[in-house]
Amino acid sequence: MSLVLHDYELDSDSYKVRLLLSALGIEYSKVAVNVHPGHEQRSPAYLRLNPLGNLPILVDGDTTLRDSGAILCYLARLHDGDGQWLPADSQRFGEVMVWLFFASADLAPATLARLHDMLEVPADRDAAIAASRRAFRIMDDHMTKRELEGFAWFVGDHATLADIAVFPAIALSRDFGVDHDEYPALRRWMRRVRTIPGFITMPGIPDYH
Amino acid sequence: MGFAAGWYALALGDGLEPGTSAGTQLFDKELVVWRDASGASHVWEDRCPHRGMRLSFGFVRGNHIACLYHGWQYDEAGQCRHIPAHPSLEVPETIKVPTYASVEAAGMIWVQSAPEATEPPPADFAAVPVRSLYLDRAPEMVALLLEAGLAGSFESLSSSTFGIALDGADLFLALQPYGAERSALHIARTGGDLSPKDIAVWAEDLRATLEALPAIAPASAARQAGALA
Repeated sequence: MSLVLHDYELDSDSYKVRLLLSALGIEYSKVAVNVHPGHEQRSPAYLRLNPLGNLPILVDGDTTLRDSGAILCYLARLHDGDGQWLPADSQRFGEVMVWLFFASADLAPATLARLHDMLEVPADRDAAIAASRRAFRIMDDHMTKRELEGFAWFVGDHATLADIAVFPAIALSRDFGVDHDEYPALRRWMRRVRTIPGFITMPGIPDYH
Repeated sequence: MGFAAGWYALALGDGLEPGTSAGTQLFDKELVVWRDASGASHVWEDRCPHRGMRLSFGFVRGNHIACLYHGWQYDEAGQCRHIPAHPSLEVPETIKVPTYASVEAAGMIWVQSAPEATEPPPADFAAVPVRSLYLDRAPEMVALLLEAGLAGSFESLSSSTFGIALDGADLFLALQPYGAERSALHIARTGGDLSPKDIAVWAEDLRATLEALPAIAPASAARQAGALA
């Protein structure tokens, strides 16, 4: 069985998948896509794999998947027998889903703001940053209350897909000029994420050692 | 109304773990608050003298803080002690980060905004730190709205500290004039047993109220405060 990730090093959604693959200790091969300046993800060959023209794309034998959230769930279902990353328990599962959908909808402006500042993708920058800050505030309020109740992670008592899905947007926010000053609970949680066994970095997300 | 030079809370003490740093601002000036491995906290200008990188982006190593860019390390007094690119160099004493006087009291880390301030450091008293609340609102306006009683029955303890009784608990709030249009309120419980989580939920409502209230003029704030007294 060959697992192939079509990947771009600077893409925060591809990074989520690389991070989970590393945490799960899964062998895979990586195809580097020339997103900038080549826009290769929108070439006819890539549009046949993913008509949305974005990354990541995971090819696993006959299965071709787009959308980092879907790919995270697929990999967890297939390779995480203990259900650590995608809990089987209905309540925990539902709570993880809340943050996976939050990551793809409410954190989309953060992804856009970063692409605007780094790769000159057109955007209403002020609106994207205002929406990013609203989302980060919701995350910080959540982790503030979680910590006050003695918990360290977004859902349950260990790291889940929820943590992986929402991590890159805030960890990379300085790329688009949003500092971490206003998010003390997220600052502490981001240090914890770096302690996940198999944690890997990407440009803009340094390790602390 | 403005804020005088003096002592301002920048963070909750227990929110800053040993060996970590946090960036913040006071009157729009960037500061780094960091706690060394021995547990002592420090407040400095958030700027590496080498290339101007924010030190709060860097890492604490033992009792030194190291810049993210090139790893220059500074000791507890702000003196540069190690430059990785020149490991055998005796670092000149002129390479130093400006530092601020700071203390920990009432569960918070306080900084003296200017060295010429004569006000004594804040009193220490028992407090359970709850959370820091960041507001998109000018600090002068936050103080006016709290003094005027428009967001609850707050008592002004000083120009930047406030008290309120909430469901049998006593809360202490310290206002950080973060920048021209941003503020922080550091919140601790000084009495009673309302759970910190319930206080955190109340704080979210307080933030929504303070950000939504229309601006008021100082004179009308005083009038309204008088009418409520």
